[in-house]
Amino acid sequence: MTDLWFALPVGVQDAAIALALLLPALGIGAVALRGFRVGPLLRALLRRQAWISVVFTALIAVSVALGAALIAQERGLREGTARAAEKFDLVVAAPGSEITAMLAAVYLQPADVPLVDGETYAEIVAHPRAELVAPIGFGDSWQDAPVIGTTADFAAYLSGRLAEGRLFARPYEAVAGARVDLSVGETFQPAHGHGDAAQEGMHDVDYEVVGRMPMTGSPWDRALLVPIESVWEVHVLPNGHGPDWDRVPGPPFDPAHFPGTPAVLVKADSLGGTYVMQAAFTDGETMAFFPGTILARLHALMGDIREVMSILAVITQVLVTAGVLAGLTMLTRLLARRLALLRALGAPRRFVFALTWSYATTLIVLGAAIGLGLGIAATGAMSAAITARTDILVEARLGWREVHLVAGFVSLTAALALLPAWLTMNRPVMSDLRG
Amino acid sequence: MPGAALEIEGLSVRGARGRALLDVPRFAVAAGTALAVRGPSGAGKSTFLHALAGLVPAAAGAVRWDGEDIAALPEPARAAFRRRRVGFVFQEHLLFEELSAPENAAIAALYGPRAGRDAVHGRGRDRLAELGLDPGETRRSDTYSGGERQRIAVARALATDPAILLADEPTASLDRANADRLADELVRLAHEEGRTLVAVSHDPALHAVADRVIDLADGRITEDAAP
Repeated sequence: MTDLWFALPVGVQDAAIALALLLPALGIGAVALRGFRVGPLLRALLRRQAWISVVFTALIAVSVALGAALIAQERGLREGTARAAEKFDLVVAAPGSEITAMLAAVYLQPADVPLVDGETYAEIVAHPRAELVAPIGFGDSWQDAPVIGTTADFAAYLSGRLAEGRLFARPYEAVAGARVDLSVGETFQPAHGHGDAAQEGMHDVDYEVVGRMPMTGSPWDRALLVPIESVWEVHVLPNGHGPDWDRVPGPPFDPAHFPGTPAVLVKADSLGGTYVMQAAFTDGETMAFFPGTILARLHALMGDIREVMSILAVITQVLVTAGVLAGLTMLTRLLARRLALLRALGAPRRFVFALTWSYATTLIVLGAAIGLGLGIAATGAMSAAITARTDILVEARLGWREVHLVAGFVSLTAALALLPAWLTMNRPVMSDLRG
Repeated sequence: MPGAALEIEGLSVRGARGRALLDVPRFAVAAGTALAVRGPSGAGKSTFLHALAGLVPAAAGAVRWDGEDIAALPEPARAAFRRRRVGFVFQEHLLFEELSAPENAAIAALYGPRAGRDAVHGRGRDRLAELGLDPGETRRSDTYSGGERQRIAVARALATDPAILLADEPTASLDRANADRLADELVRLAHEEGRTLVAVSHDPALHAVADRVIDLADGRITEDAAP
């Protein structure tokens, strides 16, 4: 049986779980409504209590939407950050905070971090398992787009095939990220620093954009990649090469003229090689870490938060629904005379029970369905906002997890709706009939 | 559907704190009789009617319709009895205003046996036509006049083809012409279709056409006579 289950496609498993979660509600409905036609009276009740029904449905919808959107958003953010880091196998930095170094090197968040010196850099380059080694340098910007110094090889590795133009081949050429508003052939002058602290006119150089990267879904889409030598030069530092440098940027760098880099981005020849290099450069002088591992730690923390959020979302939804059901119980008192009339005419008590339950459940199902729709819209809006703020492409969308959450919610609240139905069924006929 | 014979024996209905609402030592009505019940407010007329329908529990005694003591039945069985054998017309129509006239007339089809649903719909439409209403009308029933609404209520009561027709002040909310028309209709239904009619009413016009009129006071029958 277990083998059969795992042999099923994941989508079928998810659909089966959703159906299983809905089964209690469907079962209650099948038993409660058996032998009755509540449709016309249900429509009559909904029309009679139109505004109250709308308010109750809206309350349920908003609570479902918030719960579903928050959980979807958290997942989208997790996937987006992981996607943004997937090209960064190993980062070597001077000892300090791994998280700070990762935020600076992978997510381009400005930070003051100690530098890796030229000799260490040369050791990394010389490591037999190293396939691609690149320094990075930052500190400048253009219209909030960080100007990142690195090598053409790393730019090629990061972008894959360029969307337009070519890689930089001279010191003051640049490759623009996909979200930078500069075309090939345009020039820009970098400001010193970032954001409000950026100082225009400090660097009297102009870069020419010679290529554009495709979208990577990472903060590098907002970056301007330039030869690291030019970053060092504009900051009046050695340019990484000896006096006889031919002005063609890129390795090899001369350790004697290497001014330091906040992080070295490393791609090893294999997964095993990555571990070997991580061990080799984790010592008193450097720290080597996998951004994926740091992210996993952060995600584990976020995972705990997600669990708490999931529970809170369900509790919120159940509380809202309990409030709605309490309101419905009071509402059924307004309908008591009509329900008593049905019983006076000979309707079984179970019919009144079925009618009241189906009224409550209709509001719950409508609210949940609308809530899922709202959740999709809210998730899209929140994703766009987060992407705009962080440049990490967050593509959150409602998934089966949210569908399962809503299906479970529907079943739970459909079961809770039995209570007002039971209370209504047991109301005294004659006193209700007299109004 | 032939009418049902009613026999009451030692019926006692009590209200809050044991207050006597109805005491009927012995009373009988032949099947197919149109019986009018009159009396001052608080005399127990509605309680009498509700006791005949099994809507109020009896503290003692029996209410037998064709020999079946509904006072001794549990509530689900009393509801089933009403569903099968009783048509009820209330003073204030008590329709489902959002539903159309035909939907109101056939309301019993929503909870009655599946097999009889088509028949209930058919009778509901027929009764509406007989009572001068369009059985194909789809507008809400609260758009009808008071007289029309009461006729919809009568159609609803008859859609299940009941042997017993119970009416609580059926003409009270109607103008004279409509009240007279409805009184004649109800008694005609008893006579021509053999149903037993029990109508609580202050309306002399209804008393005049009934086969038998009883007076109630303080929950007791004080007079029993042909009009």
